[in-house]
Amino acid sequence: MILKTIARKPMHGWGIAKRIQTLSGDTLAVGQGSLYPALHRLENQGWISAEWEESDLGRPAKVYALTREGRKQLERELKSWNRLSSAVHLLIQNA
Amino acid sequence: MRIFRIINRRIHSLLHHSHADAELQREIEIHIQQLMHEARAAGMTEADARAMAAREFGPIEQIKDKCRETRRVSWIQDFTQDLRYGIRLLRESPGFTAVSVLTLALGIGANTAIFSIVDAVLLRALPYPDPDQLVLMFDVPLKGPDVLSAISYRDFRECREQNRVFSEMAGNTFHDLTLTGAGEPSIVNTADVTPEIFSLLNAKPLAGRTLLPEDGKPGAPAVAVVSENLWRGRFGSNPALIGQSIALDMRAFTVVGILPASFRYPEGAPQQEVWISVMQDPLFGPLTSQPGVRLLGVMGRLKPGVSLAKAQAEMNILGARLAKQFPAEDAGLAMRIKPYRQEVVGNLKSALLILLGAVGLVLLMACANVANLLLSQATSRGREIAMRIALGASRGRIVRQLLAESALLGFLGGAAGVLLAFCAVRILEPFLPSEVVRISSIHIGGPVLAFALWLSMAAALAFGLAPALVATPSNLEKSIKEGGERTGQRGGRQLRSFLAIAEIALATVLLIAGGLLIRSFALVTNVNPGFDPKNVTEAEVSLPQFQYSTPRQWTAFSNELLARLHALPGFEDSALAAPLPMDRQGEANFAFTIVGNPKLAPGKSTTADYATVSPEYFRVMRIPLLRGRFFSEMDSPSNPNVAIISETLARRYFPGQEPVGKQMRFGFPPNSDVPREIVGIVGDVRDVALSQKPGPAMYVPFAQAPLYGGEVVVRSSLSASSVAAAIRRAVHSIDKALPVTDVQSFPEALGRSIARERFRTVLLGSFGAIALALAAVGIFGVVSYAASQRTHEIGIRMAVGAQQRDVLRLILGEGAKLALFGLGTGVVLALVATRLIASLLYSVSTTDPLTFGTVIIVLLGVAVTACYIPARRAMRVDPMVALRYQ
Repeated sequence: MILKTIARKPMHGWGIAKRIQTLSGDTLAVGQGSLYPALHRLENQGWISAEWEESDLGRPAKVYALTREGRKQLERELKSWNRLSSAVHLLIQNA
Repeated sequence: MRIFRIINRRIHSLLHHSHADAELQREIEIHIQQLMHEARAAGMTEADARAMAAREFGPIEQIKDKCRETRRVSWIQDFTQDLRYGIRLLRESPGFTAVSVLTLALGIGANTAIFSIVDAVLLRALPYPDPDQLVLMFDVPLKGPDVLSAISYRDFRECREQNRVFSEMAGNTFHDLTLTGAGEPSIVNTADVTPEIFSLLNAKPLAGRTLLPEDGKPGAPAVAVVSENLWRGRFGSNPALIGQSIALDMRAFTVVGILPASFRYPEGAPQQEVWISVMQDPLFGPLTSQPGVRLLGVMGRLKPGVSLAKAQAEMNILGARLAKQFPAEDAGLAMRIKPYRQEVVGNLKSALLILLGAVGLVLLMACANVANLLLSQATSRGREIAMRIALGASRGRIVRQLLAESALLGFLGGAAGVLLAFCAVRILEPFLPSEVVRISSIHIGGPVLAFALWLSMAAALAFGLAPALVATPSNLEKSIKEGGERTGQRGGRQLRSFLAIAEIALATVLLIAGGLLIRSFALVTNVNPGFDPKNVTEAEVSLPQFQYSTPRQWTAFSNELLARLHALPGFEDSALAAPLPMDRQGEANFAFTIVGNPKLAPGKSTTADYATVSPEYFRVMRIPLLRGRFFSEMDSPSNPNVAIISETLARRYFPGQEPVGKQMRFGFPPNSDVPREIVGIVGDVRDVALSQKPGPAMYVPFAQAPLYGGEVVVRSSLSASSVAAAIRRAVHSIDKALPVTDVQSFPEALGRSIARERFRTVLLGSFGAIALALAAVGIFGVVSYAASQRTHEIGIRMAVGAQQRDVLRLILGEGAKLALFGLGTGVVLALVATRLIASLLYSVSTTDPLTFGTVIIVLLGVAVTACYIPARRAMRVDPMVALRYQ
């Protein structure tokens, strides 16, 4: 989810939280703080990279961007997600 | 790519963890401020906005922790934290720390010291390029492939030219020559070589050159290469020495080169001083033209890729060809090659491995002891540990912390152990058998330190793991209720008993092994050598052969010298002999035949040890005359040749006959076929080694078989040093240019001949002693801890009427049970283990009941004493105090 969010352009934590909130239509709004451990884990696994940059917030913020490996990982995840969701879809339709 | 990024991130967060934390803080602050900003924009008050933001965001500190955990380096930070905590703990209980570190230091130190010897002898490469290509070559009889002998000069030349498996081949032999001219005349260790030896060993001269092939040709000018030590010591590091001439055995040799001290000559001679061509040696030079004289030790370097088996096959063909071509000298002989390393290391390997095994047991015991100590510590820390688990620490985390403390102990013990090993190596050095030092110097370098570090960490894991697991309870609630006192007690107690039993068992094994060696050593040193070494001084005199070249001169010199020595006050008796029993240069063993007996089958021969002695010799050495007579002044070259034989020779080769009056043919080559009449039989002498039963021996009078030198032996009640001075004066009054070397009292020389036995005995004996002390401490620790745990129980027992005696029996009984279990196991193990040292024992069986009995009694005694102290303490328990205890 996070990977998909920043796949289009690099974003800072606040932006990611906002975007997930708007895209999912507030249904997925978990504690915004729990976003950060996830971001850090992704960063430590090398899927995303982070830089402190000037931001639209009017001061430097940590901006996360997808790495090459992260993009590959995203494709893999999307594929498996699509497989899973279509399987679930089929199951629900035909049950 | 990704892996680099991950590693980079981890290292970064490890090194800059405070920085990373600050960044995290900032990032979260931004988010919260943004949330507040939105809330304020929606018209909330400042306080409401803050509360709203906190709600939206979630628990800040937990989130931060989770972020930190994703860095995956927290264990390293935990580890340093644990170490800091560990250091504080160790400082708080200095007694415990000192005992554990000392115990470990003993174990690790002893192991490191022994390993440094193993490293020098077995592991370090020989100091030559590609040492595994080096082989030694021998002549062996076809029928007895283990009787190795040297090779004649002619056969060496033939082999060198005809073989296709060696890239180079060289021969050498040793001869002590007299160096005169610069200062006191002295004997120099001279290697007689064929010049190829230098390229074979890749010897690079410090200055000048080594010998060239032309120098090895007959009739070439006499040149010599000298060692750096001789050059510095004797010639004052004079750079002009090259090109100058020096006198060896009164003959001029031109110095052409100096070899550096770092060059180690094989068979070594760490003190090798001079190298000359074998052709130029006064003794061996002429013998090179006699194909029957096997005088060269031959070394070869295998061509790259040639296997030992292939080389041996080639030598088999060559040997057969030589036997066919020169049947007179080489019939019945074959050529055999042996890897050089095997020859050098020889039987040291098994002895060293046994020592390493023994010292490993010592370390195991040390670990068991420290484990015991840690266990009692951990048990009393039960409440603290239970509390930490209750506060959320995982069991693994606690085990990690306890292991970090053990690692700290292990490291301290290792450091102290290395210091101890330094001292031990210093102390051990004089006891080291000479062949150990010969191979390469023993020093504590990189590999040894790495070994010590590895050992400390392995030991830390060994003694730390069990207590750590026992100390962390699986049932938390119960251990908090019990106030921690009993935490892990049950498992702990079993484990402690097991450790104590194991320690006693190991100590039993070590003590029995040490005891067997000590007993064997005592037997060897008390063995009757067949002569009386007390008050006898020996000194070596050797005559330069270019000046004293005829046997007549040798005899004249020895007569003159003995006459002067006899005249000295305080000298009871003096004689000349070559060789002496346990001679530094080895014994002479020659073939003999008995006149009148049927001819021996070809390839078979009878041999006996040979010595040429002046008439007084038997009196000086107090070798008893059994029948016939000693030699006398009458046994001169003009009278019939005579001989004296030993009891064993008489018994073995003259069964049921009277040897006196019979004739034997033998002698120092080339006089090996001279008939000699037996005039006397003397007692047996142990001449090869004290631990070796005497073989047959034959003696001839010096006047009839003179040599160019020999050993002077003097019996005198004067001090050895004044005897030595008097011998020197007497020799120099005849000829100022003669060296007198190796002056020592005979008991000293004997001591040197059993250096190896003494080394083993001292080492295994001290391992046994350390083991005994460790076992005593171990059983003391277990029993006294158990007794203190039972104070409550003992109080109740005494309150209901138990006598002090009963308490004593209770505690002692517990200790005795441990000791008996341990002893039983130990004796069984020892029965197996002592088989390994069977070859090191002299006339003691590996199941020697005396040794086993003594060890069992000593260990039982020590165990009971170790239990008695806590038992007495328990006995004195005041029931009232005990009942209030806890």
